Amino acid sequence: MSGLRLLLLGAVALIATACATAEPERAATTAQPAPKPPGVPRQALAAPYNDRAQALESDGRLREALQARQIALTINPDDAATRAAAAALQAKIDEQVAVQLKEGRAATQRGSQVVARRYYLTALALDPGNRAAFDALREQTQEVDGLPHTVKARETLAGLASEYYGNRALAEVIAETNKLQPNARLTPGMVLKIPEVPGVTLNRPGARPPAPRAPLPTAPGAPTAAAPPPTPSAPAPPREEPAEVNPLLAEAREAADRLDYGQALSDIDQLLNSSPRNADALTLKKQVLYSQGKQQLDQRKYRDSYATLNQLARIAPNYEDSATLMRQTRTRLIDEYYNSGIRYYREEKLPEAIAQWKAVLEIDPQHVNARKNLDQAERLLKQLDERRK
Amino acid sequence: MTRRALLLIVVALVAWGCASAATPPAPPPAAPVVTGPPAPDVFESPDFIVVIPKTPETSATLAARYLGDAAKAWMIEEFTGAGTFAPGQQAVIPRKAWNPAGVTASGYRLVPILVYHNLDAQPKGRLVQSVSSFDQQMHYLKTEGYHTLTLTEFLEFTRLERQLPRKSVVLTFDDGYKSFKQYAYPVLKELGFTATLFVYTDYVGAGRNALSWADIKALQGEGFDIQAHSKTHGDLRRAPGETPAQFAQRMQAELAQPRDLFKRQLGQTPETIAYPYGRWDADVLKQVQAAGYVAAFTVRRQGNPAFVSPLTIHRSQIYADMSLDEFVKNLTLYQEEDLR
Repeated sequence: MSGLRLLLLGAVALIATACATAEPERAATTAQPAPKPPGVPRQALAAPYNDRAQALESDGRLREALQARQIALTINPDDAATRAAAAALQAKIDEQVAVQLKEGRAATQRGSQVVARRYYLTALALDPGNRAAFDALREQTQEVDGLPHTVKARETLAGLASEYYGNRALAEVIAETNKLQPNARLTPGMVLKIPEVPGVTLNRPGARPPAPRAPLPTAPGAPTAAAPPPTPSAPAPPREEPAEVNPLLAEAREAADRLDYGQALSDIDQLLNSSPRNADALTLKKQVLYSQGKQQLDQRKYRDSYATLNQLARIAPNYEDSATLMRQTRTRLIDEYYNSGIRYYREEKLPEAIAQWKAVLEIDPQHVNARKNLDQAERLLKQLDERRK
Repeated sequence: MTRRALLLIVVALVAWGCASAATPPAPPPAAPVVTGPPAPDVFESPDFIVVIPKTPETSATLAARYLGDAAKAWMIEEFTGAGTFAPGQQAVIPRKAWNPAGVTASGYRLVPILVYHNLDAQPKGRLVQSVSSFDQQMHYLKTEGYHTLTLTEFLEFTRLERQLPRKSVVLTFDDGYKSFKQYAYPVLKELGFTATLFVYTDYVGAGRNALSWADIKALQGEGFDIQAHSKTHGDLRRAPGETPAQFAQRMQAELAQPRDLFKRQLGQTPETIAYPYGRWDADVLKQVQAAGYVAAFTVRRQGNPAFVSPLTIHRSQIYADMSLDEFVKNLTLYQEEDLR
């Protein structure tokens, strides 16, 4: 009985070895039954991932190599060789991350931001969840590499952006880096820094851009991509890059364009209410008051025109020809008050006439006729009152 | 004799064992009525699931079954580079974020943030964009498979807390124009897009073209993020001749007051701010941080890596006169850099 049992065990062992020699991949998987046996041996299924891991590792792409090993282990968890390779790779990654972090800190300490950035980035490439490298990069002040450019005649920011980045809109970035206004005019001879913009290829005029790297070894003798011809630096038509406008200011301008000066002024005052020093708003206010005063003068609304131009005179006494307009409107307004005073007087409406002449004197205290008429009207009114009593 | 017989049996057994190993396992004899298609081969580990389907699968069907959410299809697509899987074709399903920072040996990922202002039937200047060109741009994003991120998703990315689909973009609208409700909202809704509005509080309900607080609250209820854009839309930087005390007082108004007002009107405090005109300096950064904002947005025209400095996040302004080609130039998703 026991002999028979031994023999049977031997037979099972034999089956195992016999099969192992015939199909080496099979051995590992048959040793331990899988919960759901696959149609193809696990070792064979995992093999491409192991091959890929090796290629990636020799290419220096350790993180991706480790992932390939982990996939191989997902398929074939009991493959001791893969497990060992993964552990060794993990150790190598840990070690390299530590080195990169140390170098990064040292570079930061000696003030080499650009160098430090590269160490930290490399650490993240090895370990994309590395908090220390991530935080260090996050806290770094934005220091980017750039090319110096000496401005030639007729060059514009937009033209340079087109030449270096192939994107005129990046004029803003050149302006910002060089602390210029977005629509600044360039003077020949000034030296600008053309910054690197992440994600955008920086065309280096006169230099071949580096040939694009293939992710994995390419066939030897494969033609390398020819350098794209440098973008022709044709003189670009200068285009203003208007800065963003305060929305209330934009609304005020819109109203002014429609000649709705009342609305425009109310918009401007709303803006000035919260930002009393807004220069654009103050400039627009002067323009609007001037236009409105002039319009009112043309429409013979002398009272309104006088009030508007007075308001303008308080903030800008010598705006355009506002002083002349003011004289005109003042003369006409005085005439208007004076004449309507006469009209009321003739209609025997003394209090109304008195009010008109008083208004004249308020504008022009030296107005002799108004003074004379006013005195006479007041005397007359007094006599009338006394007679009534 | 018995020994000999046994030996024979052993040899026979060996032969049979090998034979059965060499040929595919026979289908289970007298299998009960099979319901549904044959089950795929599945291998699992804490990091990955490897599936060898027996019937055609897509990234969405696999994501629904193995990740519990069809919307996670992008994880499979981006890890395997494939969206459909024929029978027998292996699908590797990452079970969790495998690269939250988006940094690999060949470079790093960028997330573009676009800035819109006002929309109208006809364009006007550079900041009032025509509805038709906006429409075209949004449909371009949809056709190209872009995901629009909520501000929260983006901020989690910048804290190493979330991996994003490769084609991710944040849409932002500055100032708080009524046109957002009238023109942008229907398009975004149609395409299943989300957006963030940066509104400045003096404008809300005041300007003739401004959204009201009621409008904004309704948009918030629809899932749009509402964030701060100062009180008056003034340049926050210290003005020439402004004393430190005046500057501090102005910053109190520009940075703190919107927070209180948001709390009252919307029941939430804004955690981020967009600098008016995109202008900032070191003093402004300090004030913004002291006021309690965790992130702030400029208008520097470039994309954002995960490790972007949180108080100077980049945004690209979209101008009314941009062609579709020019628009697309603002969607760079990757910075190549050899990091080996």
